[in-house]
Amino acid sequence: MPSSGLLQRIWRARTIYLFISPFFILFAIFQFFPLVWSFYMSFHEWNGLGPMKPIGLQNYRFLLRDNVFHTALGNTVIYWLANGVLILPLALLLANFLAMPRLAGRRLMRSVMFLPYVTATVAVGLIFNMVFDFNSGLVNTLLNTVGLPSVPWLTSVEISKLPVIFLNVWRLTPWYTLILLSGLQGMNPELHEAATVDGAGPVQRFFSITIPVLMPILFFCFITLTIDSFRIFTEPYILTQGGPGNSSLSIVQYLYLNGFRIFKLGLASAIGYALTFILLIVSAAQIVLLLRQSGLTEVN
Amino acid sequence: MARRDMTPGRLAAYIVLIIWCILAIFPIFWMASTSFKPVTEGFGGLGSLLPQNPTLNNYVAVSRLLPLARNILNSVTVATVGTILTVFLCSLAGMAFAKYEFPGKNALFFLLLATMMVPPEAGVVPVFAIMRALGWINNLLSLIIPTAATAIGIFYMRQYISGFPNEVMEQARLDGCGEFRIYWQIVVPVVAPALAAWASIAFIARWNDFFWPLIFMRSKEMFTLMVAISTLPVSEGLSTPWPVIMAGTTISVLPLFVIYFLLQGYQKEGLALGAVRG
Repeated sequence: MPSSGLLQRIWRARTIYLFISPFFILFAIFQFFPLVWSFYMSFHEWNGLGPMKPIGLQNYRFLLRDNVFHTALGNTVIYWLANGVLILPLALLLANFLAMPRLAGRRLMRSVMFLPYVTATVAVGLIFNMVFDFNSGLVNTLLNTVGLPSVPWLTSVEISKLPVIFLNVWRLTPWYTLILLSGLQGMNPELHEAATVDGAGPVQRFFSITIPVLMPILFFCFITLTIDSFRIFTEPYILTQGGPGNSSLSIVQYLYLNGFRIFKLGLASAIGYALTFILLIVSAAQIVLLLRQSGLTEVN
Repeated sequence: MARRDMTPGRLAAYIVLIIWCILAIFPIFWMASTSFKPVTEGFGGLGSLLPQNPTLNNYVAVSRLLPLARNILNSVTVATVGTILTVFLCSLAGMAFAKYEFPGKNALFFLLLATMMVPPEAGVVPVFAIMRALGWINNLLSLIIPTAATAIGIFYMRQYISGFPNEVMEQARLDGCGEFRIYWQIVVPVVAPALAAWASIAFIARWNDFFWPLIFMRSKEMFTLMVAISTLPVSEGLSTPWPVIMAGTTISVLPLFVIYFLLQGYQKEGLALGAVRG
């Protein structure tokens, strides 16, 4: 019987299953089970103490017309787009420069550049809080010195997202620079030499060789950057507390407020589901897009 | 470097790199410098790059505001124990996926990769309830156990261990080694650089974590360093004691900087293969 053969193979590999089991057990307890429970909870009204009150789709309906949720979603999308547009090209440029042959001080510069990533987000948040302070912050002091007026970085509805974006760019660019740098250093140097012989300049080589070769790594970077951007919490929490007037509030922050400050646990669960759903769609769209693109280039 | 090397392109590269290095290091320098300034000294302008009358008072003040020794101990415990556990369990599972054939292997590996797409924050409310049921609220176990084995860590270790020669493992098996002994005595010593690289990434992630300790740790004594310094009094305007707060942030980042420079040698190894984070 084939199934007894399968059971035998499973039994023989029991040590191996033991080796991989910790992850799957932890995942089941701390991620999968919570997700199922969360799903159930999202159809209820609950403050964590009394009985759960089933309310059907009301939490989700509420989110559809909840202005705060829309603001938080919009802000998070802006953080994501800003991260994608600023961090990846900047990291690509820096990595390309760092990979230059016979670069003096490469090791030192690489170490210095990576320091922001080692610096905790909470610490950077507090530093930026001080530096962007309206009255006494360094940024406004410098603006005043060159004759420009002070800017209400952290207290204006219009620009409170900017310091959060600056913080993200400052802290995350080094990480992606190092990943892209390792990709560049793994490249076959003959590709560039051949193109140089054929008369291609540095800019042309960058676009026709470096970018295509790095494409899988760039794609990987974009996916991880997307996931991280949608999970933003600490940056606005420390820097602006989501304010003024929710203008810098992120989705996870809104989830935290509902779950742990005003104890609308059903609504918090619904927000968690909305976040998961949005992230799955965005990631899936990116993967499909990539597959289609790589399919097209193969045909060509 | 020969002078003929200095083409306009190279010059531009040097300028961009140096500017970025300055931008990278300046906020950190500014933090450290401010932490030594008396609270009364002006700290706004570039005119006061270095403290005129350096003082350690801010460090004394911050240690009065917070149970710092306890907070540091919590952070060290979570980061150290968590890192050792995760490096051990991820490399063990990584070896299993890299070097063994077993029923359901591909499906399980696909499942593992798929879990990376689900944001852990989404289920935070039930996770809190689970921690409460386990009695792990205000207990460091709630920060150590859930990330004791991570998908990204297993993925990274699998990539690295794939390159390990099968013949060596086969020979050990013929010599009567069990699978765990093969892992412990033959694979681990060879992949030690990858373990160290992953350890440094895992340590940074655990040391800097904020969301989970903010939720699970409910008393000042159980706060990790990050949660503790986030409670320092920040308010709009001049009333905020920035030098005291900067003393707190300096204490919170210093240990990582020291470890980072000690582990420099593993940096390249750390990113060359995996390009992942933990």
